[in-house]
Amino acid sequence: MANPFAHALGIRHLVCGSCNGCEHELNALAGPAYDTSQQGWGIVASPRHADVVTVTGPMTTAMRAAAAATLAATAQPCVVVAIGDCAAGEGPWAGAPHAGTGAGIELDAAVTVRGCPPTPTAIAAGFAEAARRLR
Amino acid sequence: MIATRVGAAALPAAVSVALRDHEPLAAYATASDVHYLFAGAGGLLDVGAAREDAIPALAATYPVFAWDEREMRDAHGVSFAGEPDTRPLFIGAAGAPAALTAEGEGVTLVVVGPVHAGIIEPGRFTFSTGGETVISLDAQLSYSRRGVEAFLAGQDAVAAAPRVARICGACSVARSWSYARALETLAGVACDERTEYARLVAAELERIYNHLFDLAQAAAGAGYGYSQTHLFGLKERANVLCAAAFGHRLLFDAIVPGGVGIGVLRDARATREAAAQLRADARREVRALLGNISVQRRFEGAGVLPAETARAFGVVGPGRRASGGTLDVRALLPYGAYAALVPAVASDAACDVAARVRVKAAELDAAFDLIDRALAALGEHAPPAPRGVTPGRGATVTLTEGPRGAETLVVACDADGALERITVRSASARNWPAVVRAMEGNIVPDFPLVNKSFNLCYACADG
Repeated sequence: MANPFAHALGIRHLVCGSCNGCEHELNALAGPAYDTSQQGWGIVASPRHADVVTVTGPMTTAMRAAAAATLAATAQPCVVVAIGDCAAGEGPWAGAPHAGTGAGIELDAAVTVRGCPPTPTAIAAGFAEAARRLR
Repeated sequence: MIATRVGAAALPAAVSVALRDHEPLAAYATASDVHYLFAGAGGLLDVGAAREDAIPALAATYPVFAWDEREMRDAHGVSFAGEPDTRPLFIGAAGAPAALTAEGEGVTLVVVGPVHAGIIEPGRFTFSTGGETVISLDAQLSYSRRGVEAFLAGQDAVAAAPRVARICGACSVARSWSYARALETLAGVACDERTEYARLVAAELERIYNHLFDLAQAAAGAGYGYSQTHLFGLKERANVLCAAAFGHRLLFDAIVPGGVGIGVLRDARATREAAAQLRADARREVRALLGNISVQRRFEGAGVLPAETARAFGVVGPGRRASGGTLDVRALLPYGAYAALVPAVASDAACDVAARVRVKAAELDAAFDLIDRALAALGEHAPPAPRGVTPGRGATVTLTEGPRGAETLVVACDADGALERITVRSASARNWPAVVRAMEGNIVPDFPLVNKSFNLCYACADG
């Protein structure tokens, strides 16, 4: 069986109106307890280095332009991974006046990880799926 | 609460009197009035005035109200005279307002954001620098603005509780508790002792995981990987403990109107033992951080927020207590089980990053102590299922002490139990303008260190 973790990932994170809950869990995954460096996964500081862009939040009116600019700056191929119920379009702020239809929906996420917020382990499964798609 | 009403022209004088023996909490607008809220040992004080044209802007004299008055103007159409900052507070169709910058020969602007390099909420920071030194900093927030207050208005108040818990992920418990207390006040019901002990445990667990994160981030800001790694590892253990005790790693919905979540703290003894082990390990790692002389030298003198500035800006939470203050809602206006388990207030006069780290270290250990005492009082008895809450018509102000300070809510319900309006005034919104001031005279590379010594949220500040 092929190793599902066979692809190293540079991961760039893009917050589009998240409550910071998904960020806590993504930080946890990137922290010492989950040791994702053994998978070759790392958070990168520039979209130029990204194989994956993670997006959270319902998308806010104020973030839409910056989010588009970030995605436009990525090298291809690049997989967008939506993290959390807000990004999936079904979070607590769906329908709020300055909220969009979900960052993952607006930015064409190929992988969606549900949860409010999803656990670090669930996010890791989303990254494994992103790696599979990039192979 | 004591409510006084004055004519708009008399607001400056009335607020000046209130500030003699009260802490400023918030200013907010309704359809008909403006309100300036204060807290003192005797309770809450509301200075209100009917809305009319050209209300004298208090921000010109009292910077604590600067963001609130801009919010009242932009979101509620209040008309002020003599505003010190006429720029929009929120990002509109025309994009973000121009940053306030220093001008002069040799001034260089460094702009970062709104997208940041790490796993951080969005904001645009414009540094005016002279060489390495920051002359001034402009923080443009509101990138996370969803419009939560307008969205919640009209919703069933009880059914809206999970949304209120998700306004901000990192101070969810504190806000849920403020919200539950508001609805219980409007319903005329009180919760039993076991529920109140369980609520205290949830709130202090939230403080613990946040303070562990903040201390890890302070170490990161000084480039001290050992403490960053170990304290961050302990933060993860705290989140695991939260999930075991309250069914959610970040404690969402731990506190609900009428009680606590169903099934929480089913094994109080296991929670108490796990918390005691975590406390012992946290003490060891905090000692390692505070005992590292070179790291402490990096903390000392960085990000100084003078006591008078902290007071003038109405800073709350650890940021205030590290600038010589003693403001702590748990001690000033005790609520729930804090009436029986009064926390010792940590305070430090040094006003710098080192002081904020020391205050959080002291509060971390004190939080474990409160949890141990609350769980001992709870014994083997799990808290009951939440009681029914039917809020009646009226308005109330509630505040709790979250990890970053006073989390204030103004909640008004109609006769059908729907939210007429909700005003969210978070500790982070209160403190952001002071973080900006604490950066002046520091070097740009110290921004992560200074910023993380406050570690404020964006989502609850943006709304």
